[in-house]
Amino acid sequence: MESVGKSVPRKESFDKVEGRAKYTRDLRLAGMLHGKLVTSPHAHAKIRSIDAAAAAAVPGVRGIVTGADCQELTGELLADRPVLAYRKVRYYGEPVAVVIADDEQTAWRAAGLVHVEYEVLPVVSSPSRALLPGAPLLHEEVEKYKRYGDVYPVPGMNIGNHLKIRKGDFQSGWEAGVVKVECYTAFRPSDHIAMEPRAARAEILPDGEVHIRASTQAPYVIKRFMERYFGLDPGQVVVHVPFVGGGFGAKGAVQLEFIAYCASRAVGGRLVEVSNSREEDMISSPCHIGLEAQIKMAATPDGRLTAAQITLLWDGGAYADMAAVMAKAGIDDCTGPYRIPNVWADSLAVYTNHTYATSFRGFAHPEVTFAIERTMDLLAKKLGMDPIALRLLNAIGPGETTPTQVLLDESNIGNVPACILRLRELMDWESGQRVVLPNGRIRTKGIAALWKTSSTPTDAGAGAVLIFNKSGSVNLMTGVVEIGQGTKTALAQIAAERLTIDPSLVHVSFEVNTKTNPEHWKTVASSSTMMAGRAILEAADDAIRQLKYNAALVLQVSPDELELAEGRVFVRGNPQRGFLFREIAMGYESENGLTVGKQVIGRGSYIVKLTRLDPETGDGRPGPQWSVAAQGVEVEFDPVECRYQVLRAYTVIDGGVIVNHRGAVTQMMGGMSMGLSWATRESFLYDNQERVLNPQLRFYKITHFGENPDMVVDFVQTPYHEGPYGARGIGEYGTIGMAGALANALSVAAGVELFQLPLLPETIWRARGGGSVHDPV
Amino acid sequence: MIPFDFDYYRPDSVGQAVELYARLRAEGRNPIYFSGGTEIITFGRLGQLVTDAVLDIKSIPELGALGRSGDHLVFGAGLTLNAVAESGLFPLLGDVARHTADHTTRNKITLGGNLCASIPYRETVLPFLLTDSYAVVAGRQGNAWVSMHELRLAPGELLVQIWTEQSAARWPSVTIKKTKQDEVDYPLVRLALVHDGRGVRAAFSGVCEAPFRSWDMEDALNTPGVPLETRIAEALRRLPGQVIDDQLGSADYRYYLLHHSLREGMSALEGGGR
Repeated sequence: MESVGKSVPRKESFDKVEGRAKYTRDLRLAGMLHGKLVTSPHAHAKIRSIDAAAAAAVPGVRGIVTGADCQELTGELLADRPVLAYRKVRYYGEPVAVVIADDEQTAWRAAGLVHVEYEVLPVVSSPSRALLPGAPLLHEEVEKYKRYGDVYPVPGMNIGNHLKIRKGDFQSGWEAGVVKVECYTAFRPSDHIAMEPRAARAEILPDGEVHIRASTQAPYVIKRFMERYFGLDPGQVVVHVPFVGGGFGAKGAVQLEFIAYCASRAVGGRLVEVSNSREEDMISSPCHIGLEAQIKMAATPDGRLTAAQITLLWDGGAYADMAAVMAKAGIDDCTGPYRIPNVWADSLAVYTNHTYATSFRGFAHPEVTFAIERTMDLLAKKLGMDPIALRLLNAIGPGETTPTQVLLDESNIGNVPACILRLRELMDWESGQRVVLPNGRIRTKGIAALWKTSSTPTDAGAGAVLIFNKSGSVNLMTGVVEIGQGTKTALAQIAAERLTIDPSLVHVSFEVNTKTNPEHWKTVASSSTMMAGRAILEAADDAIRQLKYNAALVLQVSPDELELAEGRVFVRGNPQRGFLFREIAMGYESENGLTVGKQVIGRGSYIVKLTRLDPETGDGRPGPQWSVAAQGVEVEFDPVECRYQVLRAYTVIDGGVIVNHRGAVTQMMGGMSMGLSWATRESFLYDNQERVLNPQLRFYKITHFGENPDMVVDFVQTPYHEGPYGARGIGEYGTIGMAGALANALSVAAGVELFQLPLLPETIWRARGGGSVHDPV
Repeated sequence: MIPFDFDYYRPDSVGQAVELYARLRAEGRNPIYFSGGTEIITFGRLGQLVTDAVLDIKSIPELGALGRSGDHLVFGAGLTLNAVAESGLFPLLGDVARHTADHTTRNKITLGGNLCASIPYRETVLPFLLTDSYAVVAGRQGNAWVSMHELRLAPGELLVQIWTEQSAARWPSVTIKKTKQDEVDYPLVRLALVHDGRGVRAAFSGVCEAPFRSWDMEDALNTPGVPLETRIAEALRRLPGQVIDDQLGSADYRYYLLHHSLREGMSALEGGGR
């Protein structure tokens, strides 16, 4: 192949490195109003009254919107969330009102004058406490909320969604097992910290057309939701998305767009911007989910898994929104990439008084993988088996079924054993998992195996349009958002490959405009290259058909006799008889000016073929294919202070055929860095009233560039027959196994099992018995 | 965005700065000296600090002083932490400065800003406490010499320089910083030790509410004929206050790290130091 598989530099890089790429807030517009949020200082309280008179009296204030003005309830599957808190606040930082003014400063000043009287309510601090009898209810009548799709809230409890897997016969599988382990892991919510905080602008034109410009991964979902919640004709909603400064799932949720729309509605449709400060982005907009997981596994004495019981209690925060979907994604693949014939699993999106959650890179998989991979290491220790040998023995593959009972074949799953074996080689596993250095420090290795399918809605799809320039180059339009992942360059490579031209001749549209770009479900789920790639192949084939039609007219041959190479259409066996694309893409103009043929416009689309899951057994098809990976971490641990350094991190991924090699390597490295940052330091801290103590980067630390360990990335390339040129999906995978691999390495180093994130030195010190006896570990 | 409006002044001399401050105060204004600006900007954008007049003191020559005067070293309060570290004049001060914030931020943070910071760690004060340095403080009555042990600025007073004896700056020293996880973070423990030829001097940040030097603890550490472990244990009994217990680290863990750091630092210093 000429283009696919090559390391083509990203098309947007020059604009980005020179600071010329434009993001949502970069365009300064005269007459634009600014909305500033008034947020809740309490995690759970009744709103007794809102007095906005003083704020409204500030010169330059154009309007103030509160929950009473926009009572539409929103939510991905369960509509439980008001656009602005109404009568009650359920998390610290929840938007209560928006003050709209001529400029940002005035809005800010006036927002401080909105007086809200609260009656503080008792708080729910964790998923397990939320389920205790007598726990305060966040939503008194959860059963009355409107549902959009398969969602199972539990009346009278803090449960927004309850999903189940019942595969095989758990009881007999459990009894067949001889060696049994039980593992309880937990971590609290955290944040994505995309470089660009979320921002939205909305304007309602006099003819009723609504324009939204936003930093989002989901422009077409915004369009759909404006119909769903506000009754707008989707033909009258136009969403514009310029470059997006990192998404990581945070921008798959729709929040500020609704607030901006309601703000515009309140000021006669004028253009209003509502944008987050860093601090608001951390606590007022949806965050990275927390999880308490309980895993039980049984195995035969020689290490074959016979049964697993898995209970996932997601800290979805105050509203079900994407947490309800993540509860499903987490249970779809809940066993990890292992063959477990008997599975009993429950996944609950639990309400707590925390910021509500949304997707985070890996979509429920980094979280579940941490629990599963800790359990696998516990089991290996109990069996006296090498952790790699245990994983190899139980690796899932063709002929076996997933937890939702999808039959795997040579195409729809990558090669798990090949990834593990390659990892073993790269990590020099044979040289030992634990070495004590002369200075007393301990070097250890830890691994994790992982898999993931997309868990998209059953109608997720993509479209593509190819148009030609007079020079013979093409313009490629899709609805994929460029969020720093480099997908558009990979898509250009796919188009170039099919059209037999250089990728530099494929011009991609970076800005998405939902009025003109064909629909793309969302830029999430490591699925854009696969879905849009398929659509592009169809569009390219459509264009080729038209090119051949034009050429055939002029050459007086049948289109079947023509073929393509190096940007030309020519007669098979006689390459001189043919035309460059530029001679025929707009029709062929003969010497006397007579033009024959048609302008070539290629179109293509793709829709995933999935099914809904059975509510009682989980039986169903949640995604088209499973990319798989094995990851490892090497650490050096100081047993005195319990500090450590991550020396090296490894990823061996089977993402099918790799479209852009260097792009894929850097995507894995970014993912590993993010996974390690989360596992080593990221977490919200709460006081006893569940107010966030560290909603700013001064105290919420992420790894800096330069703190990264050495990173080793390699690929196994098992083609996915339905993917474009055999590609699967890779975007999120680098993140997924890092926490599990790190915790496994550190547990070996510290000589004590570590079940909590983040893995701070003090946490490890306590687990090893540091601190007073009264302090719980 | 800084959500409030303010006037910007750039006085050219210490006298102008102090007079201007006093005049603005008399007019009922709320002026603030502005040097590196890192605290003013980061707190200002959150509304945790509000001012209506900033007096940018970076162009006052005396605040940029860096060098030797007689047998003293002179550090202008307006020097950036990177300039202080890169000068190499006072190795211990350089070591402390080099591990305060990140490089980009240290291009802005000034010595005076760190010494007068509202963030409580003020790590660069430790080397000055250990060397019994003096500050030059400007007020409306002119300049005053103030021992670093007694440095408290009244509103409108301006820290101009710090003077340290050259011989003291060359004392063998050790400094150790422990953080929660990241290298760039506030200290759970910042320990600075020097040996003045007669005994060890010790100063701390991150341990108690404010940075401190403790003569009591030094006495314990210098008790002749007593094993190191016993001296350290006695020194720890003489901590001047409660150990901080907050979101960065518990009092237990800080105490543990302090103990370990003292052991590490004392061994290094008694074994020769730098």
